Amino acid sequence: MMAAMRTQLKPGGWMVWVVAFCCLFTAPVLLADTAGMKLEAQLLWGTNDATSPNPKHKPVDEDIRKKLKELPLKWTNYFEETRKSLDVTEAAAKRVTLSDRCDIEVKVLGGSKIEVTHFGKGEKVVKQTQNLPKGEMLVLGGNAPNSTAWLVILKRVE
Amino acid sequence: MTGHEHSSADDEALVRAAQQGNLGAFEELVARHRDKIYARAFSMMRNEEEALDLSQEAWVKAWQRLAQFQRESSFGTWMTRIVINLCLDQLRKQKRYRTESLEAIDEESGGVERQMPVLTVNPTERLERAELRQRIEIALDQLSYEHRTVLVLHEFEEMEYKEIARVMECSIGTVMSRLFYARRKLAVILSDLKKDEAT
Amino acid sequence: MMDGDVQIKLQSFVDGELPEGEARAMANLMAQDREAAALVAELKYTRQALSGHEKGVRLPESREFFWSKIQREIERTAPVAPVPRPVSWLVRVRRILTPVAAVAAVAIAGFIATRPASAGSGVETSLSDPGAFTYRDFASGTTLVWLSYPAEDTLADGE
Repeated sequence: MMAAMRTQLKPGGWMVWVVAFCCLFTAPVLLADTAGMKLEAQLLWGTNDATSPNPKHKPVDEDIRKKLKELPLKWTNYFEETRKSLDVTEAAAKRVTLSDRCDIEVKVLGGSKIEVTHFGKGEKVVKQTQNLPKGEMLVLGGNAPNSTAWLVILKRVE
Repeated sequence: MTGHEHSSADDEALVRAAQQGNLGAFEELVARHRDKIYARAFSMMRNEEEALDLSQEAWVKAWQRLAQFQRESSFGTWMTRIVINLCLDQLRKQKRYRTESLEAIDEESGGVERQMPVLTVNPTERLERAELRQRIEIALDQLSYEHRTVLVLHEFEEMEYKEIARVMECSIGTVMSRLFYARRKLAVILSDLKKDEAT
Repeated sequence: MMDGDVQIKLQSFVDGELPEGEARAMANLMAQDREAAALVAELKYTRQALSGHEKGVRLPESREFFWSKIQREIERTAPVAPVPRPVSWLVRVRRILTPVAAVAAVAIAGFIATRPASAGSGVETSLSDPGAFTYRDFASGTTLVWLSYPAEDTLADGE
């Protein structure tokens, strides 16, 4: 049986198999994830005070509060200042303004990979490339006056 | 070419030569920094044999990763970070490194160190350097791995709280509590030793 | 007995980790409260006691012996040249297939390279902020990028 197989598998036959094999593995790559994704961006303010002096602020969602608690951050309370939804596709980057001084631009790079560019007062501060599967979260943040903090949360919704 | 032939070159020239595959230059770097790297491993592990093995491993890793050294810090600092990471990995593997838990936080944030009376006299006063060294060694031996690691990273490596939190994978609050506990315990141990000597 | 948070703040003060306003408050507290001043003094004693402690530690092996172990390990882990083996039918077939596979590999690599970016795992940060650091909490699937920007200003309107 093996001897018979050996005589049948001539170099030309192998080449057909190799081309078929390559097509099999490259096709999913070629067709993968050309669709976009739905994201949610939030601008938060971190503080140790129990309340925010800004009446427009809302306490942050419980799921985000829990995740922030797991990070090496010293603040006990977080308040939501802005929340924006973003539908992003591979075709074009999308920029949203979260406050007068804070913008982010998100680009889908393929699959669950995104590129986030953060602008502070119109100037580019950081560009982060990140896998963001559903349920995961990216947090950009920095210190603010009086031992408080600003945070930008980017969450994949769909 | 042996390391001894490179003894007049500065670290930067030696790193450049070593990056081109010159083992003699690398040997000179080992000779210059070996005590510091071993000392850091010993501070963290408190065991001569483990410290020797880990510092040797750090040097082998450094040779393999030499191309990645970008001169953003000094060679000595780069080497120290390699050995610290190896020690942390080893401590985690040995499970001496407790996972941060609510109990641990409670113990550290509300523990006895808060109630300990503050020492009003310098416990290290009038001690000879050698004697002080010996007492600190005893005190470091008595600290838990978590407390000692925070103390070593802060006092010897001069890392900031947030950097320690990152390498130890815990919160900044835990770093501050552990550091506070470690220092208070160290002060009490030094002062107790002094009292023991007086009696 | 001093409040626990005050004790920790006094320590942060000693370590230079407090913002200016809070550091001033702690300095005032020390001037008024003997217990606070004594705690700061004690924390400073321990810092002082530890300074330079590692400088006296010596590696307990000679230069030559320690190096010989490192050199042996470096040589042991260095890439080894392959040993030639007798050529089997499988190797001969592989020789024919290799160019075909190489062409396929180049085609795939070309395709991937011309895509905007790979969909592989990992995080890349291009920072114009040298003081920034990244922290990943695998359990909650959260990545934190902490920036030193803006040091004295805020992007949120909490103030």
